[in-house]
Parts: sequence; C-alpha cells; structure tokens
Amino acid sequence: MITTCRLLVPAVALFAVVAAVGLARAEGPDFGREVRPILANRCFKCHGPDDGTRAGGLRLDRRDDALAEADSGNRAIVPGHTDDSEFVARINSVDADVVMPPPHTKAELTADEKRILTAWIAAGAPYAEHWAFGKPARPAVPKVADSAGAAAPENPIDFFVRDRLAREGLRPGVEADRATLCRRVHLDLVGLPPTPAELDAFVADTSPDAYEKLVDRLLASPRYGERWARRWLDLARYADTNGYEKDRERRIWPYRDWVIRALNDDMPFDDFTRRQIAGDLLPGDTADDIVATGFHRNTMINEEGGIDPLEFRYLAMVDRVSTTGVTWLGLTTGCAQCHNHKYDPLTQADYYGLFACLDNADEPEWVIPDAEQTKAVAEATTRLEAAWNELPAKWPHVPAAEGQPAPVPLEERFAGWEREEAAKAIDWQVVTPQSWQTSMPHLKVRDDGSILASGDVTKSDRYEIVLPPSDLPVQAIRLEVLPDPSLPAHGPGMAWYEGPKGDFFLSELEITAGGARVAVAAASDSFNGTAAFSGGKSTASLALDGDMSSGWSTNGDQGRPHAAVFTFAEPVAPGTPITVVMKFERHYACPLGCFRLSVTGTGGAEARGLTASEEAALRKPTAERTEEETKALRRRFLAAAPELAEPMKEIRGLEAQLRGGPTTLVLKERPADNPRKTFLRHRGEYTQVRQEIAPAVPAFLPGLPAGTPANRLALAEWLVSGSHPLTARVTVNRQWQAFFGRGIVPTLEDFGFQGTPPSHPDLLDWLAVTFVEDLHWSLKKLHRLIVTSATYRQDSAANAEQLAADPANILLARGPRVRLEAEQIRDGLLRAAGLLSEKMYGPGVRPPQPAGVTETAYGGGAWEPSPGEDRHRRSLYTFQKRTAPFAFVTTFDGPSGDSCLARRDVSNSALQALTLMNDPMFVEVARALGAAALASHGDDAVRLDDLGRRVLSRPFAADERETLLGFLRVQRERLAAGELDAAKLGGDGAGDQIDRAAWMLVARAVMNLDETVVKR
Amino acid sequence: MNGLLHATRRHFFSDCGLGVGKMALAGLLARDALAAEGPRAVTGPLAPKPPHFPAKAKAVIQLFMAGAPSQLELFDHKPKLAEIEGKPIPPEVIGGQRYAFIRPDAAVLGPQFKFARHGQSGAEISEMLPWLAGVVDEIAIVRSCRTDQFNHAPAQIFMNCGFGQPGRPSLGSWVTYGLGSESDELPAFVVMSTGGGISGGSANWSSGFLPSMHTGTRFRNAGDPILNVGQPDGADGRLAADTLGVVGALNRTRLAADGDPEIATRIASYEMAHRLQTSAPELMDLSQETPETLALYGCTPAEASFARACLLARRLVERGVRFVTIYHEGWDGHSDVAGNVRGNCEKTDRASAALVTDLRRRGMLDSTLVVWGGEFGRTPMVEASAVLGRSKGRDHHPNAFSMWLAGGGIRPGVTHGATDELGFHVASDEVHVHDLQATVLHCLGLDHERLTFRHAGRDFRLTDVHGRVVNAILS
Repeated sequence: MITTCRLLVPAVALFAVVAAVGLARAEGPDFGREVRPILANRCFKCHGPDDGTRAGGLRLDRRDDALAEADSGNRAIVPGHTDDSEFVARINSVDADVVMPPPHTKAELTADEKRILTAWIAAGAPYAEHWAFGKPARPAVPKVADSAGAAAPENPIDFFVRDRLAREGLRPGVEADRATLCRRVHLDLVGLPPTPAELDAFVADTSPDAYEKLVDRLLASPRYGERWARRWLDLARYADTNGYEKDRERRIWPYRDWVIRALNDDMPFDDFTRRQIAGDLLPGDTADDIVATGFHRNTMINEEGGIDPLEFRYLAMVDRVSTTGVTWLGLTTGCAQCHNHKYDPLTQADYYGLFACLDNADEPEWVIPDAEQTKAVAEATTRLEAAWNELPAKWPHVPAAEGQPAPVPLEERFAGWEREEAAKAIDWQVVTPQSWQTSMPHLKVRDDGSILASGDVTKSDRYEIVLPPSDLPVQAIRLEVLPDPSLPAHGPGMAWYEGPKGDFFLSELEITAGGARVAVAAASDSFNGTAAFSGGKSTASLALDGDMSSGWSTNGDQGRPHAAVFTFAEPVAPGTPITVVMKFERHYACPLGCFRLSVTGTGGAEARGLTASEEAALRKPTAERTEEETKALRRRFLAAAPELAEPMKEIRGLEAQLRGGPTTLVLKERPADNPRKTFLRHRGEYTQVRQEIAPAVPAFLPGLPAGTPANRLALAEWLVSGSHPLTARVTVNRQWQAFFGRGIVPTLEDFGFQGTPPSHPDLLDWLAVTFVEDLHWSLKKLHRLIVTSATYRQDSAANAEQLAADPANILLARGPRVRLEAEQIRDGLLRAAGLLSEKMYGPGVRPPQPAGVTETAYGGGAWEPSPGEDRHRRSLYTFQKRTAPFAFVTTFDGPSGDSCLARRDVSNSALQALTLMNDPMFVEVARALGAAALASHGDDAVRLDDLGRRVLSRPFAADERETLLGFLRVQRERLAAGELDAAKLGGDGAGDQIDRAAWMLVARAVMNLDETVVKR
Repeated sequence: MNGLLHATRRHFFSDCGLGVGKMALAGLLARDALAAEGPRAVTGPLAPKPPHFPAKAKAVIQLFMAGAPSQLELFDHKPKLAEIEGKPIPPEVIGGQRYAFIRPDAAVLGPQFKFARHGQSGAEISEMLPWLAGVVDEIAIVRSCRTDQFNHAPAQIFMNCGFGQPGRPSLGSWVTYGLGSESDELPAFVVMSTGGGISGGSANWSSGFLPSMHTGTRFRNAGDPILNVGQPDGADGRLAADTLGVVGALNRTRLAADGDPEIATRIASYEMAHRLQTSAPELMDLSQETPETLALYGCTPAEASFARACLLARRLVERGVRFVTIYHEGWDGHSDVAGNVRGNCEKTDRASAALVTDLRRRGMLDSTLVVWGGEFGRTPMVEASAVLGRSKGRDHHPNAFSMWLAGGGIRPGVTHGATDELGFHVASDEVHVHDLQATVLHCLGLDHERLTFRHAGRDFRLTDVHGRVVNAILS
C-alpha cells in the first residue's frame, strides 16, 4: 500500500524549462520581474525615491525622471539607444571612478544584470506599474489545458496552474492516494493527522463527494480554529510574557482565545481586521471587540529598572507599524522609520502618518466585562453589603477568656469613638486649583475637587498646582490620594510597569505662597507604604527631606484612599495664592493618578484614617448628619475596631475582588481632550523629535475616503475597503503558502519592489478578487476552494526529471511536500499516542521540558510542568516565555513572539533529531504510542500496522515492515537479556514489561521517521 | 538498500538543480570518499566557506561580562575622580545623557582600587586583576568603547546583534553563516552561562532572520550539556546505533520513493545527532586534562563555574567549534561597586587569563580571538538611593567603557583609546560597538559590509550602515 505514483513526464526540453522558470524571454526583459529588482537592489539607494540621498540629480524609479537630464547634463537613459545612454556606459565602465554602482558600495552588478539592463534600454526602457500596487482586476480563467494522464481539474485554480504548466511544457500530476490525501488535508485544516478510525471511514467512503464531505467536516471542527489561530499568532507576535530582561508574565490569553473563536466562527477577514485594529472604535463595540484589540498589545514591555517608558512605547509603536505593514500590506516599513524608503515609494512622512493612525491610544490592562464577570461583580456587591450589615452582630459579647473583663458593648464604644474623633475633626476646605501644569500627565479637575491624571507618565514627573487665594490664614494643607477605576490597580498612583501597579512615590512636596517658600513644620500620613524593592517605610515626612530618593507612598494598600497633612510653621496670610509642587521620581514612572487638596485655618491638623466627607460629617451635630454620613461613620468605626478585625477580612477581600477581575491587554482610543501627538523622529531615533505629523495613509496607495477622520478605525476600514491593492493579495497569498509551503509570492512579507514577483500573477489576482467579491472575505471558503482543487490534491512524489525541471515545485506539477510546523509535530504525535487533550482555551500551560531550558532567563524562573491533561494540550496553549521559549518549539523553528513573523524557517538539525529521540516529553509519547500499538489485537505485524496508521496514516510496506520487525526482535532479545533496562524504558503499565519496552522503542523509531514530520 | 541509495545519490549528484538537501546529499557522497582518510569534512549548509580575505582567526571565544563591569575599577584609571569626589559633574559634560537610576547631578565617586603598570607594555590595570596582569602583554585593551543603549537587555542584544531589539542575528550566527563550521560532531556556535540569568535572554544568541541552524546552541551547566543529547534511562550505545540504523533505512526508502532532497538532509541530521551523542560526553570529560591545566584555570571539574566554562571553550575550539560565548552575569554594581568588582574578579580573572595562557602554549592563540567585555560601562558618578538602600554604587554608562581582545589578528600589548579626565566621554579613538563588531569579523577574514543577508526587502548586515575596523589594534 505504499503509494508512490510516479509521473512519467517526457523529458522534453527540460533545460529550456529551467531557464523559463527564471527568465521568460519576450521582446526585452520584463521590467517588473527582471529590471526593477536590479534597479531597486543596486541603484535606488542613491537614485531612488529618497530625495535626501539622491545623487547626481538622477532618479531611476520613475521613467520621466530617468529619461531627463541629470545634473551632469547627460541623459542616463535614452530609450532604444544604448550608445547614447550614460547609464549603459557607467555600468559597463572599468574605471573605478566612473563605474556604477561605485565600488565602495560593494553592490557590483553581475554580468547577467548588466546584460539585462542594457537589453532593457535597447528595447525602449519601458516601465510598468508594479504588479502589487494597482487594484487587482479579476483575470479571465484560462481555457482547460490538456489534462491527459492527470486528474480532472476541479476549479479555476487548476486552470491557472495548468495553463502555466502547459506554457512551460509540463504536465499536472495524478491525485494522491486517498490515505495520503486524508492525512494531508487533516494536517492542513485541523493541524492533526487523522485517527485510524477517521482514516478508515474516509478510505471506505466511495461516494463521489467523499472528499468534500471530509473537508466540510474538518472546517467545522473546533480543531480548525486552533490550527489557524497558531498561524495568525505568529503574525500577532503573541506571547505570555512581556519580553526584555524581566520578561514577567502578562495576561493576554483572552486575545488568543478570541482569535480561535473568530476563526472557528469564520468571522469574515474584513471584520477580523477591523476588530483587531480598532475594535474599541467600532460603533456599539462589544467586550469581544475590545479584547480583539489585543492584537497590537502583543508588543513587548520593558520593565528593566530605570528604562525610559516612553522610549520603549515608541519602540512598541515602531513594532505596530511594522506588524501592520507585514500583516496587511505585505510591505516592509522599517526603512522609512529612519529615512524615505530606498526601494519602495514609502516616504518617511508616510511612515509617521501610518504611525499616527495607530498612536492615539491608551494601553490599559482591562477587566473584561463579560457575563461571568458581571455576575461575579453582582454577587460580590450583594455579599459585601450583607457582610457590612452582619458586622455589628459579630461584636463580642463574652470575655475573650475566663477571668478577662466583659467586652464593652458596641454602642458604648462607638459613642466614645465618635466623641473623640469629633473633637479632633478639622474644618478642611477643599480647594479647586485655578491653574496647573505638569511634566507629562494630563490632569482634569472634577466636580468634587479631585484631580484625575491620565495619559503618559515618565520616571520624573512634576505637578505644579496653583491654588486660589484662601480667605483663611492657611495653617496646613491636606493631600488626599484617591482610588479611581481608570488607574492601574485603581491607583492612587499611575505606576503600571516594573513597580507595583497603582503605586505613587511623592519624592518631594514644595509649597510656596506669594512666591516665597513655605516652611513645613510637620507631616503626617494615614498610611505609610512599604517602599517597593527595599521594604523600607515611605512616610509623608520623607517628601520634605530634600532627598529625591526618599518619599511618601501608600504601596501595600493600593485601591484605597489615604491622606497626608503638611502643617506650616507659620500660617499663610489670607488672600495669598499658594502653589504646591509635587515631584514623583523613582526608577519607574510613579506619579499620582488621583488626588485632592484641602486647606485649613485650624492649627494642629493631622492625617486621619477618615475620608474628607467623614471628617466633615463628624463636625456636624449628630442630628444634622445625613443617613449616608451616619452609616459611613459607623462603618469607619467598625472597620477600625480591633474587635472586628477578623470579620473585616472578608469585607476587605470582597472590596479587593471588586477592584480586580479577569483582565486582558487592550487599546483604548485617547479622550478628545488629550490626544497624543505624533512627531517625526529624525533618523528614527526616539530622542530626535522633529515636526508633528497628522494621521494619514501612504500617499502612493489609494487615499482615505473624503471626510473620514484619520484614525485607527479609518486605517482598518481602508485596509479592508475591497479596493485596496494589497490586503486581499497578501492575505490569499499567506493562505496559499500554508497549504503549498511556498507563496505564489514567496516573500510573504514583501510585496514591494524588492519582493519576489508572483509565480502565477493571474491566479493571485483571481484569488484576491474572488476572496473579496465572491467569498466575502471568508477564510473557510477560501481554504475549501484551495483544498478541493486538483492542484492541491496531486501526489507529491517527484521523479528526477520533475526535480530537475522545478526543484522547488514552483509550478505545482506535483502536490506539496513540506516539513510540519513544530505544533503539528507535537500535537500529531500526542494524538497518535492517544494522549492529546481536546480542552480548549484558558491560561497558558507548561508541558514538561528538560530542566535548564529556562536557566539562562533573567531571574531563572523554574518551569514547573502542568499537572494532568494540561501536559498534553494542543501546543498553541503552551505558555510562551519570550526570553526562554519552550525548547521544542524553538528547535523546530517556532517563533519567540518578539516580532511579527510571516514565514517560519524550515530547518533540519541534529537538535531536532535529539529532541524527538530523547526529550522526556517524547519518551513519554513513545511509551503511550507503543502501548497503544501493543494493545491492538493480533500479531506483531498487525501491531506495527496500527502504529503506522496512527503516526503515518498508512500501514507499513513489506520491506519497511521487515526492517521494523527485525529491529523489534533485536530489542526484545536485548531487553530479555538485560542489556537494555526494560523497567526504565517501558515505564509503568499493563502487560509484559519487555513487550512494553520493546514497543516503546519501535514507536520511538517510527516517531523519528522523516515521513512523521512532513506533510506529503 | 545501499544499492538503492547509491542509485539515488548518483541521480542527485548528476541531475539536481538547487536545494539544501541536495548539498547535504552531495556532502554525504563526499564524506564516503573521505571516510578512509581521517577527519570528515563538514557538509551541508554549515560546510566551511572561504572568508572574504585571508583570516587571522578561525574561532572566537567571547567572554561576555553581563551586567556591565566598572571600567573605572578595572581598566580606566581616573585619579581626578578621587580629587573631586563628592562634587557633581558639570552639566555641560553630561549633556542630555539619560540614566537608569541616578540623577545627572549625582556626585562623583573616586576609583575604589589601586592601579599599577604591568608587563613590557606597561598597561595600567587595577589590583583586582592580578592574573590578567600576568598576560597583559598578550592582550589589547580598548578604553574608548561606546554604545547606544543604557539598559541591560537592549545593550546586550545590541552588543551581540548590532541592534537594540530582539530579532536580528547575533555575532556568532553571522560568523557561522559567513564561515560555516569546522566540526561535524559539535555545534558551530556554543553558548555557556555562569552567574545569574541573562537580561537579554535567548535573543543574544538568536539567528534572527538567518536560517535557524545558525542559532547558538546552549551548553547547560547541569545534566546533559546539550539538550536531549543523553538517551532515555535504560538505553545504551548500541540501541542508539540500532535506532539510527532503522530510521536511516526507512528514510532512505522514502527518499527513493518521494525524491525530496530534504530527506537526505534529515538523514544527515540524524547522523550528526548520533555523533553529538559521542562527542559531547568526550568533550565534557575533563579527566583528560592534567592537574596542572585544571589548576591554571582554577577549575574543579565537577563544579559548573566560569573557570570550567573557559576550559571547555578551549576544548570546543580545539574540536573545530567556530564561536563560543560564555556569559558571566553579575557585574551590575548599582550598590557597593567595590564589592561587586572584587567578587566578580575572584570568579573570572584567573580563568580569563588562563585561557589566554593556555591557548598561547598550545599554539591556538594566533587562530583564536578572545574578546572580554560587558554591554556598557558604569558612571563616574555615585549611585546612592535612600528608597533602594543603595550606596557607593555606579549606574549604567553607555558613553565610555573598556574591553580587551587577544589572539587571532589582534596586536598584543597595546592600550587603545582614552576617555576624558572624568572617564565620562571618549576623548580619543572612539570604538563604537559597530566598530568592535566590524573588527571581530575582520579578524575572521570577513568584510562586515559584504557579510549580508537579504531579508524583508533589503540586505541586512551586523553593523547596519555603520562600523569601521579598528586597525590600530590589529597585528
């Protein structure tokens, strides 16, 4: 049953075919395919679109310019007249001072390149629009080519492919046998090989649409979304850690799960795009739409001590532009970060215009308000109120121990507390600032006099707040630091990376009145935090000591209000404006996020564990207090009473729970009153700020519709408008590559002048137009179209002639034969061994891997393998640590998640061999696989066939069977003789130990076959 | 089976056009021819390639002092700092330089150690480097290094990859891409690590956009040196050979049937894996070294240490490994810089010097380039912080730092470049990181401007559009 159907292609003009793959000869060389790549690569650096570096007044990327007089007065190109063309003379010169490109550029032209350029000028130097930059038109489907000896064509794909084959003098191949096809389409659509039962069912199904039914079943499988999400996550540079030195864990797997669901739901690609780029800006945005914006939150976050957070935000933005370029535009934007693109018509201003489209967003850790969370909040809120109401009943009635005095009754204690507190209560006046300025954060004064900060933060922030003149002789000033749900961990600070979330650090507080410094006699605080990274106390008085490296913080009690009071040595005379300067400085950004200032004319003020309104209420006679005030005071007392410390824990826990909730990283458009400005950076360097740039799309591509505000949503709509020349081409090409191992355009990430032109331009355009207009951006329908083509279904075996004619299978006279991706290999083997867990979604899991993989990661970070079925989940759920990725994935060319990856490398290495042979995870798989084969009813040959069907989707051929049974026999003998340790190799399990060990070894050998790790 | 393979090989050899697999297969044939003649030629994509011009060095050992050692305590003696200790550096000197932890107006901290001149070259180094003082005439000290990055992870990645963000190929990857490998028993690019975890992580030895075979292979301190090189418990050498045999036989059948040259590459990779399983334990077996050699390095074979890593580096290079990096993390002296330098020198000075001595006496120094240094320098100003409980430390300083190089292609006994009297800026003969990278490649016979790789629409190189070879330190 081994099936290697050979194609007997007559060896007609094979060498002509080889030449034709590279160079199709017509009148002159083809401009797009042959000439422009040379010009772009060798000439545009100095004679291209970048006017900053253009030399000699010669521009070669546009015909009019190229034909004009250069600075020298000579004409570089005189169409049809090579002798008059300075260009021809220069490229052929042997004089080092004359020859182009100049020797120092080390970009010498080859003889072949010189010949092509000369022939092009001789033929009239025609230019042509770049194949990727014009809107694709749907090409006519070619007529049926001769299919004699091959499978019948199934859909237009085949006509395009066969038309090209016919022109090259090649014939299409026969269809692969059913088992091979079954395995191929399973691996492609769901990322797993078929089980023996699935295989049998398909092979036995003789109905004419058996294959289509199989395809539809696979497209409907939840495994489909898992397979295709993994490919998308390569582009999204998904990872479960922040990257860089600290590489701390982040929570963004809800985004990963969103991708799986979207693909399983066959969300049209235009919607899929809109939501990921601008879900928060969609009218009627749902929680899911906002989760989807995690796409651009997969950028790295540097939490190393002392970094400049805005510099690394800038670098994350550079990554966002680059990722958008690769993923949707198929353009490399990186060059234009620093200067006008040398090769493509993308200017530096275009680059920062695109940058500005994406720039105007905040980047919160966002609590997902899904149904589960809403329910949890409602429950916690109800419980919290109940817990408060139950609290008085928990007041102790009996002595704590025998012989101890009876406890004072609650009401008596409360009355005492109230009297005492009322006596100390100070008359504070909340003051609303009359003006303010800050180093960076945006401040907004609210009705209650509190001030809320938002926007960007730096490591050294300064708030200068001018208070209106008071009619009091001001004796003290109170700084309340307040929680707010918009702040990290509800504040009161804005620290969001490196330091504790919601922390602030008031290094120094300086007060001036009428221009003179006010001497502060004393400072008190309601809470002094534990300084992060040292554990020392951070009291309010440290904000007065003149040392910027000490200060006040409430770290340890984030999310709750506190206050500091600064009392003056001498009162400030009434009517004098007071200026308060607050400086926040640590090795991470930590300004205050929400605060309020009050003044008092009373002496002896101190910070209390009371809110401002509670302190005000205390100053009223009991009878005049509102119900709310009374309740608040009572609760304040209960909360502070040592007698109730234990039951209060539940209340504090519920409050903390209400401040938290399951989060994910998202984008949120900036409010209109604080837009982020984008500036061009000279040479792309963060510190070299130049002119402000407005959001815009690159000028050489279609513009935005008139009247549309240029923002992220406009950018997303523009990408999927249907008339965009790139998005659909880039997308269908990437899908094509997934099935055939090579794109129609092999440079998936570069459709610009430097990219490789399409092997089948008409097919590319036909697919692009069909995808948008007929399939309405449905990826499932596109995948169905591809896998039901006869081209896809061809046998992949190649004979010598085919290999010689088309070694890389560019022309597709045979089916795809490519090494599987890391995840397909592991998941497939887990499935074959019956170990694969089908549990979907949730936090990343840690399958076993050898100790020491994470030893070089900063701060070590032991890899504690997950228990139970999480050891055997699909690989896309594996916890992705950027600085020490899961070793197996790295070894098999998987990404680290550091940057957008359109195309994985495909390598063969000794480390791969060692991994499949010896990695404990695969030894475990080999044991299970061996045991599964051993359990099948029959003799060793039957067992072996079962093994083959599990792993390779076919039984072994006679010669293979003989080899493997020989191996089995030898190992059995050696195990029996004790040369090999059966107990250690076979592990625990049912049946005979030697059998178990022997079959584990056979399974291990089969797992290491080439065929196991390829799709064929 | 052999006949079949032979037929296939002949077919490929005569008919095939392109492809990695085909090269590997051709290599297999070449190896057959050489089998009787001793050392095997390395084949496939890692086959040795000629340099751009005759090389001085064949291999590199990079001693990466991660965390950034204080040049002011080791190589760059600045008595002026002692004179003005406690005073700030003038703002016009500091310019717009940003710092990680300190304020730019922090006070100056004087050198914490004594310096003296050593050897015939009279190189001035600190008392913390007594062993290096003994080989000072063999090395070239560069006091005028400068980098663009002032945070550890980006700076380490920049030193290795010429770019501050992950994603580009590292120096070792560029070198194996440019020159291939001399060993078909060991990886071409090996990475070892002692001390703490490395800020830049695996991006430091990543192949970036180069083919992934150029990724540095980690040698681990515990367990198998190479991941999974050890067989499962209960197995033996013959089982490895038998398994290789059966896998190879079936793969050859498949090659004959499917005709994909990649199968030949996979067969070759399994053979390489098999050799690794033998060569790795042999490499790690330090009982082959004399007690005198062990003592020279200060190496206790059973203990993972910087000394053992240095000795292993020599053994790797002896066996044809092209590029070895040893990370010693721990130099980040934000507080008590004197204690930090003392502790790290105790761990590294002797073995670093021993490596030079050992390479010299074995005749390997002329063909092995040794590079010592960190990712940036440390500030002339003191780091002290109440909230962090730090005192007498030094912060990160990208503007000026010191490194040393020795061996293949390097002029021994020179001290190159100088900083200003405060050690703040480079005063003469600046050597930027890209210049260092260009120089390392130059010693290996590679022109940094010609060692390029087409990726994402342009030709990338290690030194981007920068880099000048530092001729003054070349022999």
